[in-house]
Amino acid sequence: MAFIEIQNLFKRFKEVVAINHIQLEINQGEMLTLLGPSGCGKTTTLRCIAGLEKPEEGDIIIDGQPMISQGFVPPAKRGIGMVFQNYAVWPHMKVFSNIVYGLKLQRIPRKKMRERTTKVLELVGLTGLEDRYPAQLSGGQQQRVALARALVTNPKVLLLDEPLSNLDAKLREELRFEIKSLVRRMGITAVYVTHDQAEAMVISDRIAVMDSGNVVQIGNPTEIYKNPANRFVADFIGTMNFMSGEVVEILADSSTVLVRTEFSEKLVCVTPDGAAAKPGTKVYASIRPEDVEVFPEPPQATENVFKGSIVHKAYLGNFLFFFVRVDDTMIRVQAAHNLPQEEGQELYIFLNPQKCMILT
Amino acid sequence: MSRGSVSLAAFLWLIIAFFVLYPLSYLVLESFKISGTDSWGIQNYLEFFKDAYYLKTFGNTLLLSMLLLVTTTVFGVPLAYILARYRHRGKTLFTALILLPIVLPAFAGVFAFIIFFGKYGTLNLLLMNTGLIDKPVNFIYGLHGLVFIQSLHMLPFIVLGLSAGFTNIDPSFEEAAEVEGASGFRRFFTITLPLCTPSYLAGAVLVFLWPFTDWLTPLILGQVDYLPSVSYINIAYHFTDVHRKYMGIVAVVVSAVVCISLFLLARWWVEKRKYTGLSKGTTSEGRVIEPGPLVKSGAYVYLVLIAILVLLIPIVLGLAAFSRRWTFEVFPTYWTLENFRLILLESPGLIKNSFMFSGIALVFGIAFGLPAAYVIVRTRLPGRDALDFVITLMLAFPGIAIGVSYLLAFWHDIPLATHWIIMPLALFSRRLPYFLRMAHSSYLQLDPSLEEASEVSGAGKIRTFFNISLPLLLKGVLVGVVMFFIMAFQEISTAIFLYRGGWETLPIGIYLNWHRGMEFGIAAAMAFLMIVITFILLLIISRIGGGVLKAAWGSGEQ
Repeated sequence: MAFIEIQNLFKRFKEVVAINHIQLEINQGEMLTLLGPSGCGKTTTLRCIAGLEKPEEGDIIIDGQPMISQGFVPPAKRGIGMVFQNYAVWPHMKVFSNIVYGLKLQRIPRKKMRERTTKVLELVGLTGLEDRYPAQLSGGQQQRVALARALVTNPKVLLLDEPLSNLDAKLREELRFEIKSLVRRMGITAVYVTHDQAEAMVISDRIAVMDSGNVVQIGNPTEIYKNPANRFVADFIGTMNFMSGEVVEILADSSTVLVRTEFSEKLVCVTPDGAAAKPGTKVYASIRPEDVEVFPEPPQATENVFKGSIVHKAYLGNFLFFFVRVDDTMIRVQAAHNLPQEEGQELYIFLNPQKCMILT
Repeated sequence: MSRGSVSLAAFLWLIIAFFVLYPLSYLVLESFKISGTDSWGIQNYLEFFKDAYYLKTFGNTLLLSMLLLVTTTVFGVPLAYILARYRHRGKTLFTALILLPIVLPAFAGVFAFIIFFGKYGTLNLLLMNTGLIDKPVNFIYGLHGLVFIQSLHMLPFIVLGLSAGFTNIDPSFEEAAEVEGASGFRRFFTITLPLCTPSYLAGAVLVFLWPFTDWLTPLILGQVDYLPSVSYINIAYHFTDVHRKYMGIVAVVVSAVVCISLFLLARWWVEKRKYTGLSKGTTSEGRVIEPGPLVKSGAYVYLVLIAILVLLIPIVLGLAAFSRRWTFEVFPTYWTLENFRLILLESPGLIKNSFMFSGIALVFGIAFGLPAAYVIVRTRLPGRDALDFVITLMLAFPGIAIGVSYLLAFWHDIPLATHWIIMPLALFSRRLPYFLRMAHSSYLQLDPSLEEASEVSGAGKIRTFFNISLPLLLKGVLVGVVMFFIMAFQEISTAIFLYRGGWETLPIGIYLNWHRGMEFGIAAAMAFLMIVITFILLLIISRIGGGVLKAAWGSGEQ
């Protein structure tokens, strides 16, 4: 049985449905990320787990205890620690008082309190800053205080609400790995909310992608990237070329189909997970820029080869980026090697049928 | 640093020097004069602090200040919390009602309460008629009455500061405490309230200083042993003994010193721990709670009770204004328009004077305030902070000190006080901060690049000001204009020392009619008239938008 079970959760704010009957299971010791654009319901879901919002329907089970159906359990009684987007480090208290606040409420003996605080300060790398006020700390340090405060009570679940979004890019990348290894080491179950797909890829054991109040796909980072469930997920995570078209024929092995697009009568594509698609279905033939291959001369492959012209060409250090026009369709290409052609000249692209999938 | 802004700053400093620094230093110098001689010395002060009577007065005033602070805090904290946090119907209406006393003249409240809570006032008569009491209860004559009436007048300052604080706290501060396991009261006292101390203190200092400023309320209630009242009596009635005048001036200076030092202390403390702006992404509404039915109805009862007390002021004054001979009756029985007829026919000059003096003061205020705000916010001139500082200090300066200093300073050497222009000039310097703070904070919100874009396009500084800055500042400036006018319109502390026959304003008319004793109806009608005018002006403010708070305290940030 999962450590946290979210069952049929529903929450609305006045007329707006924030969470639309979602199901989610989070295993013990895993780091699950709720990922989605703003307004998708990820933060509301997290706040429901914390008990800061009351859902209209559904239940949340943490470690076998129902949080809603058998009387609403307040945040204080849920055994959680939480890190807020804007740190929420109390500005009128020193670092030490901030961290020790929760322990005091649990009536932990003074000596033990000091021990645990010292340990957690060491863990987040803040030793020696106990007597500072938050205003005397940098943003990154404040976020570490917030993390220490959330961890010091030994919570069953750690909730993180876009904890890095207020930090600058360099620091953000650094702290991602730090949080991940810290949470791993402590073996704590964690739910992490972010709208930053790169952050989600780095930090998560599994990602739940959300869109307008629904969980669209759950899986580990590789699955989500390689086999997106639909156009939304594919678009949100990484970059994808979408070529709108219509299924014209299903081939014998049933996982391969032919799609008519604006520039091709028969584009060969795979269907993800062998899902059946009927002829006539409107689909997007989709391929990642790094899966498109470019050739200065016509390649040997017989199918999915097209002639196009270079609209933009950019050198990005470790790779090259092309915008290639095939008829009226613009295709983005990420190539590992250079070509003699320049902007305005022609080249050939190959959309590998194994990597070209249909999405709806 | 252009030559234009340097000469502008010089001009502003000249005005400040002449209308603020010069009269105030004159006042201080005068307090060191020894009566009957040409010599100077600290004798007056020594005498003041040795004299048991003056010491008692000083002690009384301090005691009143403390009691006032305690009551306004005890009643204001829950009030602010309800207004800021609870989701309830009629929020705007209740907020408006509870804040109303800020813009009502203090003496209007006193008159209304004398009629309602007096020895043979409505409440006592009602209670006696029902047989609950035999003898009238003394509700208001005495220290307790002073605390009661002044508390109601000053409550809005506490409520405004605190409710802004409650609204502006980032909700996650409290949520973090909730997650950590602090619930209810504990969270309120360890997180919410400490975070609000800066905004509380901003209001609290004004409350504490009020007894050092308000000379009229004690006087009307027959309590004279308070510092400002003693100063007033000593200075206004020194015919018999010139020495009394100097003791009065000393009392004024002592009050002013207390006010200024406490004000500065509070300001310093607030500056030191400003918690706002530390966190990002606050919601505009703040944290809103849906209380349980019991708490909610309790909160409603509380709101309604306070609102009734506030509403008593216009209602009672209205009843008194449209009647005569309202004595020993629960409600008036003889209805008439006689009071208004007397005001309009026999002394229309009062209304005219009020509008004229406040209007002229307002023109001065704008002509000074806009350039001052510009210099303070948009230039890097040295001394601009000092300019801001001096003007802000006027918030804490007792009106009586300004009135007396104008009387002294513009009498012999510079005989401005013989011309009526002294009246609007005094109003101008007394209410200066009200306009300036508004203009100041609107200026801060105005992105400089909008003005720079105009200058790059080839417009000069003055053209840019009129084409770009002024239209964008207009909203804030208009609110400041109306607030300034309201405050100038009800000003009595300065005017009472300076007016001569023919220069009386409505507040002075009210005071004189009360003073003569017999014309209570006319005084009430005048006060009612002022309330109506204030109401109309308030409606205009609410149309324009913006806050009374900004005008009243107007911290520069946000």
